[in-house]
Amino acid sequence: MELSESVQKGLQSLADPSLFEPSGFRALTDAAFRSLLSGHADRRVLEDPALEHTERVLLKQCHAAATTCILEGVKHNADQSTISSCLEDLTFDAERIEIFSKSYQKHKEELEGVLANIGTQPPHINDASWRLQYHMKNGHVHKVNEPFYLLSLNVENAGLEGSAQDINFNCTVEQLQDLVGKMKDAAKSLEKASQM
Amino acid sequence: MLLVLSEEYKEHLAVLPQVDPAVVSEFGRIAVEFLKRGINSKVYEGAARKLGFPITTVQHGVEGLMFLLTESCKLMISDIDFKDSVMVLGFSPELNEILLQLYMKNHDAIRSTLTQLAPSLPSYHNLEWRLDIQLGSRAMRQQVVPMVTMLLHLTTDGPDNRRCALQTDPATLLHLISVLEAALASVKNNRARRILRNIK
Repeated sequence: MELSESVQKGLQSLADPSLFEPSGFRALTDAAFRSLLSGHADRRVLEDPALEHTERVLLKQCHAAATTCILEGVKHNADQSTISSCLEDLTFDAERIEIFSKSYQKHKEELEGVLANIGTQPPHINDASWRLQYHMKNGHVHKVNEPFYLLSLNVENAGLEGSAQDINFNCTVEQLQDLVGKMKDAAKSLEKASQM
Repeated sequence: MLLVLSEEYKEHLAVLPQVDPAVVSEFGRIAVEFLKRGINSKVYEGAARKLGFPITTVQHGVEGLMFLLTESCKLMISDIDFKDSVMVLGFSPELNEILLQLYMKNHDAIRSTLTQLAPSLPSYHNLEWRLDIQLGSRAMRQQVVPMVTMLLHLTTDGPDNRRCALQTDPATLLHLISVLEAALASVKNNRARRILRNIK
């Protein structure tokens, strides 16, 4: 795990007892994890009573350094001891390493989820709904008398292709059997693959 | 069920008894051809010149036959009802038989052509799938995320068919299968079967 000079500098400031008291360190560490996990930017993330007396520029620099360090760690799947030794190199004392790395371990899984969702992927099917209908007649043909289904696939993240709508289509009973058969094939293969 | 033919329509078909039965057969062949491929007005000109009739007379004859065929196919008229419907036109038995044969022979093809005209949503054509495992991304270097990537082919009314690339996770795939199996089961239950039997 490599950290840039400015991040290292920020972390070193965070480790400095003359700049951050223990309560301030704890508050900033919490703020760093919270801002990564909250999903949307909260302007007041650094407005904590324990951080009141710290200079704002320094505070922002340290916050940026801490979040970068956390993200790099999760990105490279660094474990608690790797983070600890990294912080040790940056002159953190034992107590601060303990606080930081414990929080890291606690939130790592959740952060992995956040990071795994970044990036492009095809629209994701979440659910399907269906309606069974009976086609009796239309303007061109009478006595059609065929049951058919109207399927609607609920799709998420379709914005990339410019259509956030569900996918709606018709299928006859035979076509639906075909569709389900193919999905079952896929499920069977998945099961086999997971047993390897 | 009998066809109801208007007076105007009867006038249009009045040309048929005036010509040779072979010509009526030819008109019938042209009518079926036009139903398949669309009307080609040059054919009217050629036929009119040969027979010495005005173009409109030929046109009325052929299009009259087209109407007779599409209406009968639309209503799924039986051969006996077709005979009785045509009887109203007052043609010779030989001519009636030619029309009946024309109807019986082309019934299925015309019906399938008509079926395509019905308005419809995109319809299912095929589903292709593959199993993927996401191993890493820019934001996350080490991952093992199983995924099912699917390509759904849909047939649309327009010239180009739609293909949708979709993805889902294994748990959702199982959920989809169970939802759709419930859909398949619902057409087979007694209630649905009773209703389908009784709507005719």
